[in-house]
Amino acid sequence: MKKFSWLPPTIFVAILVVAWHIAAARQAVPIIPGPWAVLQGIGELARKGLLVKYVVASVFRVTWGYLLAVATAIPFGLFLGWRRRAEMALNPALQVLRPISPLAWIPIAILWFGVGDLAAIFLIFLASFLPLTMSAMNAVRNIPAIYLQAGSNFGLSERQLMWKVLYPAVLPQLLVGLRLALGIAWMVVVAAEMIAVNSGLGFLIIDSRNAGNRYDLVVAGMVLIGAIGLLLDTGMRSLERLRSLRWGYGTD
Amino acid sequence: MRPSRKILIGVVLWTGAISGLHFRLNVDWSALGNDYLAENLRKLHVAYIPVTCHLTCPVTDYISRRSQSGNIFLPRMFQGFPEIKEALISNKMQAGFMVAPMAIALRAQGVPIRIVYLGHRYGSAVVVRKDGPVQTFPDLRGRTIAVPSRFSDERLLVFRAMKHFAVKPEEIRMVEMAPPDVAGALAVGAIDAFSMGEPYPSQAEMGGYGKVLFLAREYWPDYISCVLVVRQDVIDQRPEVVQELVDGIARSGLWLEQGRPYREHAADFVGRFYYRQDPALLRWALTNPLDRVMYTPLSPFKQDFDTIRDLMIETGVLDRAIEFEEYVDTRFAEQARSQAAWSYEPGSPQ
Repeated sequence: MKKFSWLPPTIFVAILVVAWHIAAARQAVPIIPGPWAVLQGIGELARKGLLVKYVVASVFRVTWGYLLAVATAIPFGLFLGWRRRAEMALNPALQVLRPISPLAWIPIAILWFGVGDLAAIFLIFLASFLPLTMSAMNAVRNIPAIYLQAGSNFGLSERQLMWKVLYPAVLPQLLVGLRLALGIAWMVVVAAEMIAVNSGLGFLIIDSRNAGNRYDLVVAGMVLIGAIGLLLDTGMRSLERLRSLRWGYGTD
Repeated sequence: MRPSRKILIGVVLWTGAISGLHFRLNVDWSALGNDYLAENLRKLHVAYIPVTCHLTCPVTDYISRRSQSGNIFLPRMFQGFPEIKEALISNKMQAGFMVAPMAIALRAQGVPIRIVYLGHRYGSAVVVRKDGPVQTFPDLRGRTIAVPSRFSDERLLVFRAMKHFAVKPEEIRMVEMAPPDVAGALAVGAIDAFSMGEPYPSQAEMGGYGKVLFLAREYWPDYISCVLVVRQDVIDQRPEVVQELVDGIARSGLWLEQGRPYREHAADFVGRFYYRQDPALLRWALTNPLDRVMYTPLSPFKQDFDTIRDLMIETGVLDRAIEFEEYVDTRFAEQARSQAAWSYEPGSPQ
């Protein structure tokens, strides 16, 4: 059975593409492009060398914004989870910031960082920072108390407790948080690139809107964003499958 | 090797590789290096969006790069007016093209910018569906028309037409819409009409679903849509650089008015290298007919701006009668009058 596990999703995608084709062909005014036109659009981007340029630009911004968030949010979240008092002091403020969409920060980002990579990286950083902080914090809180008690009974110092008990215990939960945050970061890059950067897949979409009747390239941008998002998620899942990280799941 | 170390090495290699590729493929090093030059050597960053009102900006850049003196400023394409406004406020851009009422409103709100020149004249139109129910302006009663911004002359143009036809403002529903979206919205019937700058009226005409109801000049002689603004600190400290910018724009305006071959050539290189629009679309907007958009005279005149200011106050987007001298600096335009068109032949090798 496992051999054909790729079959159902492929069939479903094929059905979607056919439905899309039929719907596009039946429009009264031919504005929304069909799948074939979009594929040709992607081909045109590839021939002009724009495909590689734009994908690189988007992935570059996500890499930096996301990694900066990982490097700061995870220690911060672990600290908050570990020190109850710090959490009680900071959590209300974090909960106020959390529901503010990264898009609402766009004007501030331009005023601070101007137009270019920095503003986009800042927005992606913001979008992934709070979810990562929350998941690191919750991961610490969800460690069964008995682990820590056992650790202290063995005479571990606080530092040893952190490295030998806390860190491995939170890792599996943290990975789920990392994966979700990467998804959010990739979603925000499009919006971030619609402000004043002149490259990237988000720029491709807004630039094609400006280019007149080039909705084939708009949809090509959407398809590329989806495809790369799938690749990123697959990459993160393969991390979860690493043996040394998998113990937390218990089963199989 | 431990897996966590492997992951770390992987992340470092990945970040290095993607950054290297990005710096190679996408970063404009000359624009980036400019910010680290001594202040008197620095070139101005000039913001524009891909519309025909801002055409002189890429034309000046393209021709000056091919002249002996080299490029005058660093053009930067934006996607909308709010971002240009923010980049100007935070001094990331020192100059930029924007709709005239927005420049007036910003100055009235205390933002230190001045209008020094115009982008173009005419070049806006009200467009309706070709076979739709709206065939005359009064037919718009009870219907929806899209305008680019509350701070736009395209919106004020609709009010001028309303006065002419004795239509009351509350009888027509006006919505703000990003210019690139209006042609599509008209095609699928989401709006009944739009008042926009070129090339969006041309786009609807070329697509076969739109028809120009009237051009701006029919109800507004000497119509202006966009202006060139410069930050006050640049005007005070480096007037010679501002003069160079205005001179360049003036020369491009004169160059564009030399006839059809010049306009067709501009449509070709601006479409391909700057706006990334189909050159055929720009060619339509620039030559159909030739005076659809005009690039002379580009000097700001008091009476034109008084008209705009009064209409702004009347329609509730300006709260005080700011004086012409307060938001316009005419000396650069006056100096630029002695300029001649670029000596650059259309069809020169690219």
